[in-house]
Amino acid sequence: MYEVIAFYIFAISTTILFLITVMSKNVLYAMTALAAGMVMISGFFFLLGADFLGVVQLIVYVGAVMALYAFAMMFFDATKDIKEKHQNPALVFLLGGLMALVFVVMFSAPIIGENVQALYPIVDGVGNAQAVGMVLFTKYLVPFEVAAVMLLVAMIAGIILAGKKMDYSLTECEVSDQELEDEILKGEAK
Amino acid sequence: MSLEQFKNRNVGTQNYKKLDLEHSPTCGWCQFKQVVSRTFKPELFVGLWVTLREMGNALFRGKMHTTQYPFEKLPISPRYRAIHDMLRLLESGHYRCIGCGLCEKICISNCISMDTRYDENQRKEVSEYTINFGRCIFCGYCAEVCPELAIVHGPRYETASEQRASFSLFEDMLTPIDKLNLQQEYDGFGAISSNADENIKKTPLAY
Amino acid sequence: MEATILPEVTAAGVIIKAVLILAVISAIAGFGTFIERKILAFMQRRLGPMHVGPHGLLQLAADGIKLFTKEDIIPQHANKVVFAVAPAITAATAFIALAAVPVFPDFTIPFVDIYVPSIASDINVGILFVLGMMAAGLYGPLLAGMAQANKWGIIGSARTAIQFLSYEVITGLSILAPIMMVGSLSFVDFNNYQTDGLWMVVYQPVAFVLFIIAGFAETNRTPFDLLEHEAEVISGYATEYSGMRWGMFFIGEYANMITIGVIAAVVFLGGYNDFWIFPGWLMIIAKIAFSFFFMLWVRAAWPHVRPDQLMWLCWKVLMPLAVINVIITGIVMMLV
Repeated sequence: MYEVIAFYIFAISTTILFLITVMSKNVLYAMTALAAGMVMISGFFFLLGADFLGVVQLIVYVGAVMALYAFAMMFFDATKDIKEKHQNPALVFLLGGLMALVFVVMFSAPIIGENVQALYPIVDGVGNAQAVGMVLFTKYLVPFEVAAVMLLVAMIAGIILAGKKMDYSLTECEVSDQELEDEILKGEAK
Repeated sequence: MSLEQFKNRNVGTQNYKKLDLEHSPTCGWCQFKQVVSRTFKPELFVGLWVTLREMGNALFRGKMHTTQYPFEKLPISPRYRAIHDMLRLLESGHYRCIGCGLCEKICISNCISMDTRYDENQRKEVSEYTINFGRCIFCGYCAEVCPELAIVHGPRYETASEQRASFSLFEDMLTPIDKLNLQQEYDGFGAISSNADENIKKTPLAY
Repeated sequence: MEATILPEVTAAGVIIKAVLILAVISAIAGFGTFIERKILAFMQRRLGPMHVGPHGLLQLAADGIKLFTKEDIIPQHANKVVFAVAPAITAATAFIALAAVPVFPDFTIPFVDIYVPSIASDINVGILFVLGMMAAGLYGPLLAGMAQANKWGIIGSARTAIQFLSYEVITGLSILAPIMMVGSLSFVDFNNYQTDGLWMVVYQPVAFVLFIIAGFAETNRTPFDLLEHEAEVISGYATEYSGMRWGMFFIGEYANMITIGVIAAVVFLGGYNDFWIFPGWLMIIAKIAFSFFFMLWVRAAWPHVRPDQLMWLCWKVLMPLAVINVIITGIVMMLV
């Protein structure tokens, strides 16, 4: 009973919030709605008894990912509306509608065919964290490690992109500005 | 201390103490060493201890600095030139002013106005005496020139008032007859304040 | 340890608990401002608020009246909805985080016989939930700063993001080592692990120090109060706020301080176990009170750091330390 009420509350608010994310012309509204929608999604995990995944959803999406988005938003004037350019609205509508339809069919087909079953149901006496750990380090070990390597690659690439001029201190004036500029120019010429 | 010492403007040869500040580290290993040494030097805890000690001093040793101003006031220097006081003779309780008019004459902002007459004993009596505090610049000439030490500057420095006239009448400035025993004699120019001894301390530069 | 059979937790008990937390923590948060002003004053050899009530005790009421009756100003070019919602996010997340934390001892209301639990919602990933909720709390300052069309606000919210990106890793990694030792994410298990009197801080001193540092950053307390350091960015994200909206930021901050105090007490400082002759409820209150006092103490003693220094500290010093701590903990656990 409570679960059903909670599910509908979460479902409706998630849908509305993500609609705002897509429809709104204001960056700030879109971002706020996206973050709130992520929180609502974590509600589903809690409803299903997957506390650990719910919390991870909270920390990773609401915390880290959205903080990065927000950091990028700092470079815009968040209080102004964005003017969007639509070259061919009919085509956008058609493709978007088709994609949505495909997704609906994809996800609803197994439900209609009653072919959904939980591969890893909740086991009594085993905590959420342990269950996730067991699956991650047995069946999904390779994807897990590949994802880790991918993140490492991305991290190194980020450091290299950001850290070209890391050797130069901007606060200590041992090197004069002119010299610094020359050095940077030389580095770029290479 | 001779005068020469003050005339010496050459900063380099004076008695300055140079702190041996370490240079900022250049190599990575030096930076690492600095971080480690600063981490394990309990300097942060010295800061914590100092604040805790001061809290103890303030709470238990009566070293609280706050003066709760409207309720407590610090003693003021006798040289301070605030609202004037009219003093009385201690023996008879009669006001000291003899109506000579010197204060009125010397007042450079023309704010003192007085009127005198002969009383029944053929003595001069002040019939009217006002100071316009809207104009007074508290220069202190009136107190300096008074031959009888009748007009002095009192310690009343809170001069905010709803009306200008609040302080200015002779009776307002005159020592109330029942407070005659509390009347403070003016210590004279150059007098030091009553709590001068407590205020003597080393200047911060000395330590 | 044999778990004692506790009465069943009913919905009524949880609701009473929630109301209790809201009421008491809000009051403590308000009272905390008074305590903070007093202690800071004492440490600077001042008296602090004195005039309203005996020793300024009623200053709290005066502040409350002022906050409630002050005009609620929304700047002209601000994004009004987000501007209005942002303070509520801070306050709400702070209180939601308190839902999974053991705050007061459990008791049964006589006559109606309703059992009020110690934790409003004892989910088995409690510690992660609290940290996640506190992380979600950063949306308050972030959105507030961006919605108010004020440059100081933008700088404040940029600093929020920087601070978050700095401390969040440390919080997680520092608390990971105790989690490995206990083998659970539930606060109750942490408490039960320390019943023998040996506190977690004895096993994990490094993790404790790291967690305290990250906790200071998480609650924007002084060494890391970059978000609203008034000497630099006026008031940061709170520049344009007035009245009760500003008050909600304030309550959120103080509730977060209490939450960090509870986590530190339960995870590292022996929880609500009896200690010598002192009962457990007194011990936990004493520990939370000490961490609250410690935050004020540090504010009186230490200067604050620049944003780049915080980032440098977190990523170049604390994160390697935390990782090494986790690895050593793992090796020791494997060998022993």
